[in-house]
Amino acid sequence: MIASVLDGIVLGLQFGLLAAGLTLVYGLGGVLNLAYGQMAVISAMATLFAINAEVPILPAVGIGLAVGVVLGLIFDQTILRPIYRLQGEARVLLSLLLTLGVAFIVDGYLTWRYPTEGLTLRIGGGPIEILGVPMRRGSIVASAITLVALGALFAFFRGTTLGRAVRSVIEDEEGARLVGIDPQRMLRIILALSGLLAALVAVTQSMVRPVTVSAGFGITVFALIVTVVGGLGSVTGAMLAGIILGIVSSIAASSIGTFLSLIILLGAAAVTILIRPSGLLGVRE
Amino acid sequence: MMLEVSGLAAGYQGADVIRDVDFHVDSGEAVMIIGSNGAGKTTLFRSVLGLLAPSSGAVRFEGSDIVGMPAQRIARLGVSFVPAERHLFPRMTVQENLALGAYPDRPDTETMTLVMDLFPRLAERRRQHAGTMSGGEQQMLAMGRALMAKPRLLVLDEPTTGLAPKLAAEAYQALRVLRGRGLTVLVAEQQVPLAMAFSDRGYVLENGMIELEGTSEALSMNPEVRRSYLGVT
Repeated sequence: MIASVLDGIVLGLQFGLLAAGLTLVYGLGGVLNLAYGQMAVISAMATLFAINAEVPILPAVGIGLAVGVVLGLIFDQTILRPIYRLQGEARVLLSLLLTLGVAFIVDGYLTWRYPTEGLTLRIGGGPIEILGVPMRRGSIVASAITLVALGALFAFFRGTTLGRAVRSVIEDEEGARLVGIDPQRMLRIILALSGLLAALVAVTQSMVRPVTVSAGFGITVFALIVTVVGGLGSVTGAMLAGIILGIVSSIAASSIGTFLSLIILLGAAAVTILIRPSGLLGVRE
Repeated sequence: MMLEVSGLAAGYQGADVIRDVDFHVDSGEAVMIIGSNGAGKTTLFRSVLGLLAPSSGAVRFEGSDIVGMPAQRIARLGVSFVPAERHLFPRMTVQENLALGAYPDRPDTETMTLVMDLFPRLAERRRQHAGTMSGGEQQMLAMGRALMAKPRLLVLDEPTTGLAPKLAAEAYQALRVLRGRGLTVLVAEQQVPLAMAFSDRGYVLENGMIELEGTSEALSMNPEVRRSYLGVT
């Protein structure tokens, strides 16, 4: 039982980081990015190719993260341009359609061109015991990196002028403009950050299990579930939902089976939404 | 002239709400724009401040053309706007709201002290979320946030909306203190007596057009103004 909970926390931290990248872009720009998982996969592939080209592991990871940032910026400058011209519901719908199109194209190309590739980062050394449960070293490292990243995110949003400026646009866009903040510029920064988070999730996940070329849609779906349960636009909500769903999913997987755990995860998400339509910490419209 | 508006027309969905509006504000002046509900005061301010694209006309601030400029750029030129709906950041603390007023700079302690002295309630509620405060406190916070940018021109759209008479009087008392420090103020108001006592000059906006203008003293003698806005028969 303790083992399942610990595994769930490892999984949940990843879920949370994953959802943070999606929820921020939605909260700030009203854009749901369904190609989010593909951003993660492309970053993973960049890391993999760098490693195959005999780049040492840390610089190779750095390349993957940089690719994530660049992908976010490219998104902002290309596919999101026509989306920004629309408002409200029309904006969300067009973003769903266009990013889904991109997701299919990227996914199709990658699985056709590199059908068997996958990124696995092996962390050497034996298991580490936590609360009497032996945990794989990869899981511990992945969770540590995720925790540091989340800490950095919170520090950025609470403690820096730029972070507060980004939050102010989520809170009240017109108010933000009145104090001299350019919402478009904040959105560009958040897309770069979202790309970075997608890449970081790909890297940390590859320490626990391989990230294959076709992993994109799975990543997006999990990010979407966690985002909706946590409340659209809330990073704290994404964290909370990530950890809760991670634990639910892990306990279900160990006691009932992996396949059923997905159904239970979706059930938990559905129940949350029925009870609290705006999510755990979402903004009520 | 600090602010000069000429021939301004603006509206929504192609229909102009305001037409051919001319007015100006000199440095150091307090100017009011009065008019009944729906006269176009808010549309006028939104189009002057870059929140609504005017269909024609010119707006100059300190000699440079600002028409068509986005609101965030106009704000950085030294014009702070306090809208009637306030547009605070509800899930951020009073302190954070004020700090953002100084964006992109860090809030300086001198201005922070000025705002806290002006509105002691804000000092007491530093750590409270803006969204949980009363209407009067929110109005003070909106004014405080606008002041944090150290504006040369402060524009307020109906600062007394929804305020009890005592709080409305307090808001104008704060504006008087700021004027004493040399701030230029432009205010749109429905509660005409308060604005009249505060301002040097005024314009009467009716059905989207400037119908009357003059010193506040002259306007307060005008029989039409007395009947329509001061409740004197």
